[in-house]
Amino acid sequence: MPGQLHAAFLRSDHAHADIVSMNTAPALARPGVQAVFAGSDARAAGYVRFPLMSNFINRNGGAPIKSDRPVLAHGKVRFVGELVAMVVAKSASAAQDALDAIEIEYRDLPAAATINDALAKGAQPLHAGVPDNRSFIWEAGDADAVAHAFPGAAHVARIDVVSTRVVASPMEPRAYLVSYDAASDCYDFHTQAQGMAMLRWQLAQLTGLPEEKLRLHLYDVGGSFGQRSSAYPEHAALMMASKKLGRPVKWVSTRSEGFLSDAHGRGIQMSGQLALDKDGNFLAARYDFKCDMGAYLTPTGCSGHLRNVAACMTGVYKTPALYGDFSLVHTNAAPIAAYRGAGRPDIAYVVERLVDKAAADMNIDRAELRRRNFIPMTAFPYTSMTGGVYELSDFAGCLDKALKAADWAGFAHRRAAAARTGKLRGIGIGTVIEGTGLGRSPSDQIALEFDAQGKLTLCTATLSSGQSHETTFTQVVAQSLGVAHEFVGFCSSRRDNEILGNGSGGSRSMVGAGSVCQIASQKLIAQALPLAAEALEVEPSQIKFAHGVFNANEGGKSISLEALARRLAGTHPHPMNVLAESSVGSTYPNGCHIAEVEIDPETGVTQVASYFAADDCGVVINHSIVEGQVHGGVMQGAGQVFGEHAVYDRGSGQLLTGSFNDYYMPRAGLIPEIRMDEHPVPSTANVLGAKGVGESGCTASLPTLVSAVMDALRPLGVPELDMPLTPAKVWHAIQDAKAQQKVKAH
Amino acid sequence: MSKIELTVNGTKHTREVEDRTLLVDLLRDHLGLTGTHIGCDTSQCGCCTIHIDGRAIKSCTMLAAQAHGANIVTIEGMAQGEELHPVQQAFTDCHALQCGFCTPGMIMAVAALLKDNPNPTDEEIYHGLEGNLCRCTGYINIVKAVKQAAQTMK
Repeated sequence: MPGQLHAAFLRSDHAHADIVSMNTAPALARPGVQAVFAGSDARAAGYVRFPLMSNFINRNGGAPIKSDRPVLAHGKVRFVGELVAMVVAKSASAAQDALDAIEIEYRDLPAAATINDALAKGAQPLHAGVPDNRSFIWEAGDADAVAHAFPGAAHVARIDVVSTRVVASPMEPRAYLVSYDAASDCYDFHTQAQGMAMLRWQLAQLTGLPEEKLRLHLYDVGGSFGQRSSAYPEHAALMMASKKLGRPVKWVSTRSEGFLSDAHGRGIQMSGQLALDKDGNFLAARYDFKCDMGAYLTPTGCSGHLRNVAACMTGVYKTPALYGDFSLVHTNAAPIAAYRGAGRPDIAYVVERLVDKAAADMNIDRAELRRRNFIPMTAFPYTSMTGGVYELSDFAGCLDKALKAADWAGFAHRRAAAARTGKLRGIGIGTVIEGTGLGRSPSDQIALEFDAQGKLTLCTATLSSGQSHETTFTQVVAQSLGVAHEFVGFCSSRRDNEILGNGSGGSRSMVGAGSVCQIASQKLIAQALPLAAEALEVEPSQIKFAHGVFNANEGGKSISLEALARRLAGTHPHPMNVLAESSVGSTYPNGCHIAEVEIDPETGVTQVASYFAADDCGVVINHSIVEGQVHGGVMQGAGQVFGEHAVYDRGSGQLLTGSFNDYYMPRAGLIPEIRMDEHPVPSTANVLGAKGVGESGCTASLPTLVSAVMDALRPLGVPELDMPLTPAKVWHAIQDAKAQQKVKAH
Repeated sequence: MSKIELTVNGTKHTREVEDRTLLVDLLRDHLGLTGTHIGCDTSQCGCCTIHIDGRAIKSCTMLAAQAHGANIVTIEGMAQGEELHPVQQAFTDCHALQCGFCTPGMIMAVAALLKDNPNPTDEEIYHGLEGNLCRCTGYINIVKAVKQAAQTMK
């Protein structure tokens, strides 16, 4: 932009420390530097408190404690990468150079980079208002019912697992440009986001400004996965700079900054116990969740870890008694936000591992134990003890499809064949469900508008970051109107924000905005019908619409919707324009995935030999897009299973996995092929019958792939392992098991 | 400052840039060719892959000055008018991109891979794409696209 300046940020290199002193004057003297900002500026602006998208109250009436987070740290830093100061200069390199000139003295405090360290007795509190580092304690279900059920159990299976802290790593680093317009007293943001409404509300809450003062210009986004669901301190810091200097200010994150300061995902320590009768029927389940929230609560972090986990705590099983205990824990690490699934893969992971453990303990086939405990089709809508209200699903149908396609029954032959080549082959299964479709906005709107040439454009507030809305939303409209796909143009998240609705997130775009595309199309047809009648000079009652054409009942007269739109194109606004809105409730996509792996015991390297997914994501609008979403989701799960892990040094709180050199990313060939079958049971919660598919892949692949690895290793006597299942971890586990066997043999 | 002369997508350019300017920044900021993306700062992600004198290189790992006199092709130079390069067409046909951010680098890497090895095996494709990260597709449709492009380019 004309007059544009560039910002660079000084980030804390201490995990937990008091800022004793800071001198920014030497930086200001550097060439090209226009201004330097520090925590005192953030305090003065009042940019200190991020909102929470959470309405959770615990039984004591408590809510999550919102601790202050000045957008530039003030007095204290709480994680490596936290913003400490901002330099604004004429070029990005000049700003970057000047960071070195800032003089700053820290006094270190003990750092607790892990959940256990943060909860240890005598741990240093991160926030004055949170003395035990637990910002919230919450529970779901019925503790008494569970306590009553456990003593009568024939067997209790137990598991302790961690859904590891991971870095979302969309391929496009964050990049923001903020411009303050003094004449209107408004801020223009050129930024990535998952949707207009969600980000704008957060920025308004953070800055205390009315939403209409914040104008968002949103374009194509290079991946998101929940990482862009939150407003960031950099947004507000750039606002301060642009207002003070009267010029647009731009910042583009490096990947290294991203590793340190993009919101991380997952990070839940989970412990589960499942009580079963002698026939393997589930009697009760009890879970404990310690959620690593990092140094500060993000707007989307805590709701995902609570709501999405609780909603599906029973999995796909009828479990008469259920209880979960949650703690949100502060650590000296990057804040955690939603990440593809946001709690859904985590709960599926612990539930399914617990079921596998029970099957192994009781020597029951894993598929059979699942089938025995599925919620039957006669039991829907099914309300779980922890708040999930499942719509009609066919878990057994999905299971059967997957067992057949993956040849579950014939696995012994493949294992034997692998053994002959010295490989350990295992088969894994996951039968999972997840709640999708909820959004913060009360409804979704879709506008269908015609321009001066009669060309149609679909307008939505939902923003794609790779989910292909431009293809699928327009497809719904084109099919509903009976017009060519090319006839429908697309526009999302308009600056003037006339169109309201949710962003993408929670696998909700097709469920929510997609459904309204159909509703809007029907409204358009109804609105156009009298206009068509006028054009054909007959009574509206004498007109019928079919396949894109208005036909008069008699006389053979007709006019196509496209022709009618062109004919009326001179008037403004076009008389066929419609704005439709609707609110949709939760839907519950589910599925059964089966994977096989082969492990080389000499190296610990795991190869994924086959992967099959049978998914019920409701009515499928576009098979290619659904398949692509499942591929990506399964692979993101595989990344977490086989290597992804954001590791902080326990002593110093330094991020040890701060680049793609150190942080494992899935690469081509990690899973060579994913075979898919759809098992659609239409949702009754929306007009399309869609259930959402964006997150189901990783919800299923976490437990499925770990199940396969454990199945390969269990015969050796390897105890329960946890993610990431790196070659080193697997190799050591095999060596340890062999050593144990030798000891036993003697 | 360094004076750089180079040919990009068939057009000769001369620019005076700071010595430390990276080639990718010259392309993006000085020549306005923003199809070449920057996804990391450790030469791992491959979003910045371009062709120099017919070889795929990561333009974030090279100084602009090192490209003095070079003949460069970026993603903007792959299509012939309205007609997409066979690798671009294959990515479109196979739904081999979702957010699209890695795609320019992927296409440049694949085009170079197929030039060196017109009939790659699956393993050779995996190896050839090791330096390019994609977070959306799980690579499955990308590998399909490589195979389709290999067929059409025969």
